[in-house]
Amino acid sequence: MTSAKPFSMRFIFLLALAVPASAVCGSAVASTTGDPSAWRNDRPEQPSAVIVRNATIWTSGPRGKLEGGDLLVRGGKIRAVGEGLTAPAGALEIDAAGKHVTPGLIDAHSHAAITGGVNEGSNITTAEVRIQDVIDSTDVDIYRQLAGGLTAANLMHGSANSIGGQTATIKLRWGAPPAELFMANAFAGIKFALGENPKQSNWNVDERRYPQTRPGVEQSIRERFTAALDYRRKWNEHNASRDRNRVPPRRDLQLEAILEILDGKRGIQSHSYRADEIIMLMRIAEDFDFTVKCFQHVLEGYKVADELASHGAGASTFSDWWAYKYEVIDAIPYNGAIMWDRDVLVSFNSDSSELARRMNLEAAKAVRYGNVPEEEALKFVTLNPAIQLGVDDRIGSLEPGKDADFVIWSGDPLSTYSVAEQTWIDGRKYFDRADDLARRDAVTAEREALISKARSFKEKPEEEGEGSDETAPAEPESETEPETEPETETDAEPTAGALRQGVNR
Amino acid sequence: MSRSLTLLCCLALLPVSGAFAATTAYVGATVHPVSSPAIESATILVEDGKIVAVGTEVEIPADAVSFDMTGVHLYPGFVHPLSVLGLTEISSVRGTRDFSEIGEVNSDIRAEVAFHADSELLPVAMSGGILTAHVAPTGGVFRGTSAAVKLEGWNWEDMTMASGVGAHVAYPRLRARTGGFNPPTEEEVKERKEKALEALNETLDDTKAYATAMAAALEGKAPKPEYDAKLAALVPVLDGRMPLFLYADELSQIESALDWAKEREISNLVLVTGPDAAYLGERLAADGVRVLLNGVLARPDRDWEPYDAAYTAAKRLHEAGVEFCIGDGGDGFDAAHVRNLPFHAAMAAAHGLPHDVALRSVTLSAAELLGIGDRVGSLEPGKDATFIATNGDPLEIKTQILGAWIEGEKIDFSLDRQKRLHEKYDNRPRPDGDQPAVEGLREQGKG
Repeated sequence: MTSAKPFSMRFIFLLALAVPASAVCGSAVASTTGDPSAWRNDRPEQPSAVIVRNATIWTSGPRGKLEGGDLLVRGGKIRAVGEGLTAPAGALEIDAAGKHVTPGLIDAHSHAAITGGVNEGSNITTAEVRIQDVIDSTDVDIYRQLAGGLTAANLMHGSANSIGGQTATIKLRWGAPPAELFMANAFAGIKFALGENPKQSNWNVDERRYPQTRPGVEQSIRERFTAALDYRRKWNEHNASRDRNRVPPRRDLQLEAILEILDGKRGIQSHSYRADEIIMLMRIAEDFDFTVKCFQHVLEGYKVADELASHGAGASTFSDWWAYKYEVIDAIPYNGAIMWDRDVLVSFNSDSSELARRMNLEAAKAVRYGNVPEEEALKFVTLNPAIQLGVDDRIGSLEPGKDADFVIWSGDPLSTYSVAEQTWIDGRKYFDRADDLARRDAVTAEREALISKARSFKEKPEEEGEGSDETAPAEPESETEPETEPETETDAEPTAGALRQGVNR
Repeated sequence: MSRSLTLLCCLALLPVSGAFAATTAYVGATVHPVSSPAIESATILVEDGKIVAVGTEVEIPADAVSFDMTGVHLYPGFVHPLSVLGLTEISSVRGTRDFSEIGEVNSDIRAEVAFHADSELLPVAMSGGILTAHVAPTGGVFRGTSAAVKLEGWNWEDMTMASGVGAHVAYPRLRARTGGFNPPTEEEVKERKEKALEALNETLDDTKAYATAMAAALEGKAPKPEYDAKLAALVPVLDGRMPLFLYADELSQIESALDWAKEREISNLVLVTGPDAAYLGERLAADGVRVLLNGVLARPDRDWEPYDAAYTAAKRLHEAGVEFCIGDGGDGFDAAHVRNLPFHAAMAAAHGLPHDVALRSVTLSAAELLGIGDRVGSLEPGKDATFIATNGDPLEIKTQILGAWIEGEKIDFSLDRQKRLHEKYDNRPRPDGDQPAVEGLREQGKG
């Protein structure tokens, strides 16, 4: 459903009336307006200092979990976490008694906020293509995920290629343009994929593409690493040559990206399921003298947990998905617990714009299946993905010096009954549930006004105003013949009758 | 941790299938009947697979086998209201897809005849507390009839609790869906809509004629018409004996579907729908339409809708007075993940649905909607002894399910493929010097 309904501009006026009455937790700072059109949201202000008081603080850092703790933020960075902190004069005080505070959640595997398709399926290897070129900062899922406490995500291509494109780690700065979402100083990544998807097992293709087997996938990867070394050798020879007639090698952006992997400057994030292919990729890496940064999905990682730990690869897995393809018949929800127990760096990811709205509850599944201690389970969606993405110097835990990316929860973040009340990034409040709820009243009021206006036009059809059809479709007459459904409508817009009943909360 | 370890040990003493005595008493548990408030230190008395008494003053017969359930919570097993569980093993593998027939009119299809009693998905579902399911086919406009099944048994006949639970009919979409993978064009949607409406109306007209001709033949007033399985299967829908499960998700589609059902005088109607149904709460309540809300953990369809529109849908239906239960979407992917059903209800509870209603929406409300409310869904005398033991609120993800019983027989969790693989690889010898991260983790991890 596309956004930008004609009435959206108008309710900004109403919003101005509604928001001040809704301040929560004593916080007087406005969040984004939470408008579903990204560009209508101003960057939230950054108070010079913020102190969150009396909360249960899950730091995901060396301080562990603090009861009755304070979090002090200055200039968008965390200054201190502790008890009874002194705040500078003029600090924004948030009384969070009874609430819980966690680091902003991080999704290590996302396909949200990407323009167009996520697969460049033409070739088996496509290392030259880059997600950072196609970040869609207007995707409303960014806001919905903020509302679930998510503050950062690793955007990746799909799994159509054994060597896919370059990844982009973003912060969910709703309203900012793409370049401001992209974390330019994050460790560079590249998507790899093994198994059924690169070998095109589960869909019909007009023309089959090599490879169609796992051994073929292995060779397609080895071939590229060998070609990359050849490419470097040619350039080295060219640069060393004194032949005045020498012709420079043709630049190859794909091989240059692959050379970055070999140089340890670009980390592999490899879609994988089965134990055999996980071992296979680690052995290729060892043959070429580098380390696989992180396996994605890695649903049989529990079978080779010791090998993963020994190689030093991270594992970013689903909490409990299985049996949707043959290669995941042996997936178990204890995967995270077993790997964690055997010293693998484990995160849980979404791979789903819907699931990314509740990563805290995915973490709870590590407690359900395998009794991972609660604070360690939360790290599966905070510190651990930050390390896997090479951004743990900035985010992932509540420690002095890190970015002030945090979430205030109504209760225990691992409880199904808790909701995110506020989500902050860089010391700016990007989501506030109370503001969001208040905004809905404004929307409802605006709709009421528009609908009654539209109805008045309908009663006097000769005076029908421009655009009234679109803003408020007329209530259906007693539609006994479904065929009479107006065919011109392309939006799944609720009818006036439904809207009048109130759609909010 | 040590507490749940103790509970596990005590539950391990319970007899596994075949060994149960005629009368069994589960003593000292916190019993959550669902049909009434929780009872502390209560006893459930089971005889021949049926509950005969629940309460604090249950008289335990001298020859009964008693089990101390102190510290354990007992709940009815979850009732999954709509799934292709047992009709598929791995939905991407064509040979295991027995839920979707080709053609538009498949009203004679019976789901239960392909229910795979030894599906690997079933023990996993039971470990997650799903003990009863409603399985329905999904192909075509008239999709066929569904069955309620218990998830433990020797074969589909043994496991079918009720066949012909409903006739399943997909009402066509009126508008193209936007987004998603390969969305159909407006033209394709229009063409499909017209074709589907034609199939809908013609088939019901034919069924009516068939029923009339059959009645006339029975009275000897006319020759018997040639048997038509597709029409014969729909006759019980016309006279209201069998509910029509009508599928419609998008708002205009739902409104049109309800109009159509009224025009066709469908008296026994269940609307299988999504969060948009919450916009029509008043109408659904006034018309007495029962609702199967398929999916709480869903994104809003429209950008401008509140981010929690699907989370609050159940609450809005409840407040409008609609009779409803909660499902999970019910597709091939979902079949492997039915154990997450209670967490759909939990999300609704986190967004305003009263907790007791949320719990009911995945137990008794589902059983009632399926017509098996006299058998399962609550812990009451006369009902099947189909229940689960937990260490807390089963709508909380952190809570663990410690045991499950169907008709009084304890489910053997070691048949769960996932628990077997866990056991095997958790016990893989460690590299020299490596110790478990938490003492006793392995033992505790079996929960």
